[in-house]
Amino acid sequence: MTTESTKPLSPPKRAARTAGTPRARPTGLPAWLVQRASALYLLVFLVSALVLLAMHPLHAYADWKTWVARPAVTLAMALFFIALLSHMWVGLRDVLLDYARPAGLQRLLLWMVAMGLCAGGVGMGWLLVLQHV
Amino acid sequence: MQFSISRYNPDIDDKPYLQRYDVDILPSDRMLLDVLLRLKEQDNTLSMRKSCREGVCGSDAMNINGTNGLACITRVQGLKEPVVLRPLPGFPIIRDLIVDMTQFFKQYQSIKPWLMNDEPPPDTERLQSPEQRDKLNGAYECILCGCCSSQCPSFWWNPDKFVGPAGLIQAYRFIFDSRDTATQDRLDDLDGAYRLFRCRTIMNCSEVCPKGLEPSHAIEMIRLHMIKDPGDSGALPVHAVGPTRK
Repeated sequence: MTTESTKPLSPPKRAARTAGTPRARPTGLPAWLVQRASALYLLVFLVSALVLLAMHPLHAYADWKTWVARPAVTLAMALFFIALLSHMWVGLRDVLLDYARPAGLQRLLLWMVAMGLCAGGVGMGWLLVLQHV
Repeated sequence: MQFSISRYNPDIDDKPYLQRYDVDILPSDRMLLDVLLRLKEQDNTLSMRKSCREGVCGSDAMNINGTNGLACITRVQGLKEPVVLRPLPGFPIIRDLIVDMTQFFKQYQSIKPWLMNDEPPPDTERLQSPEQRDKLNGAYECILCGCCSSQCPSFWWNPDKFVGPAGLIQAYRFIFDSRDTATQDRLDDLDGAYRLFRCRTIMNCSEVCPKGLEPSHAIEMIRLHMIKDPGDSGALPVHAVGPTRK
């Protein structure tokens, strides 16, 4: 049954944060959107790449190098790595938020995952840059 | 018929254990609760909650052969033997099949389950169109038995932070109520990694709901509402449930 509050009506106040919640709390909606958008891109990229490579196989290293050095392919691969790392971050972050205890260990593990993914991003970026120098 | 029922008396037991019972099923034993009440006549130390006996109050929620459900609307015929009865998983056990639902109701309370409207009250009631009223169908029928939240792994790991499916389907009921004016505050309150977004769309909640409601769909609708996506129009889906067999 729907009942209306009997308290005097007043402008709705912003809900108070849960006690103990840190000021810089992990995000909900942005992470959810990033996970879905990155998943979509990963799917489209992987299917397209597989179809393309099935139709036009690359057998030699030089062919691969030339193909990756094409600006459109480099851009698509850069976006793929960004999507991959973003997707991994949200997924691993969620696992740690669920299971890692206590809070100090959770923060440490989150930090380590973030550093690891950043290092991976730098490495992948460097590989792509190398194709153009 | 063989039963294996979780027993726990905090005064004498260190941890819960399964006790075996052999019961002759009578023609009058239609639902599982009928058998449990006869068992309780034989062994009055067996403790459980029950009230309405017709699937409306939600008191007799328990884990029946691994799946949560209400004993009063679970057919005893066809239950796989031995019938293993345990208290709702993830909730602290008070005694035998009785669990402490304090945390569950704290989460329910946290979504402010009442209508908030800061506009002056009209002379008569606040009116809704049939379409606006239709959006509440599939949500208002929740009886707060706890079957869904107790079967949700996300609620097991974060019962103090994740609202849980029962609380979230109630949140949906007020977010999508055309008479409520605190929609944005309700959505803001659910943002963050824990209160709403711990849901991993496992969908155990929809599978076990004894009223056939689909909290996972309500949760998705709230997420879509946050990004201004209208999602589905109309009522939440409800799946048919008869007297269940487990």
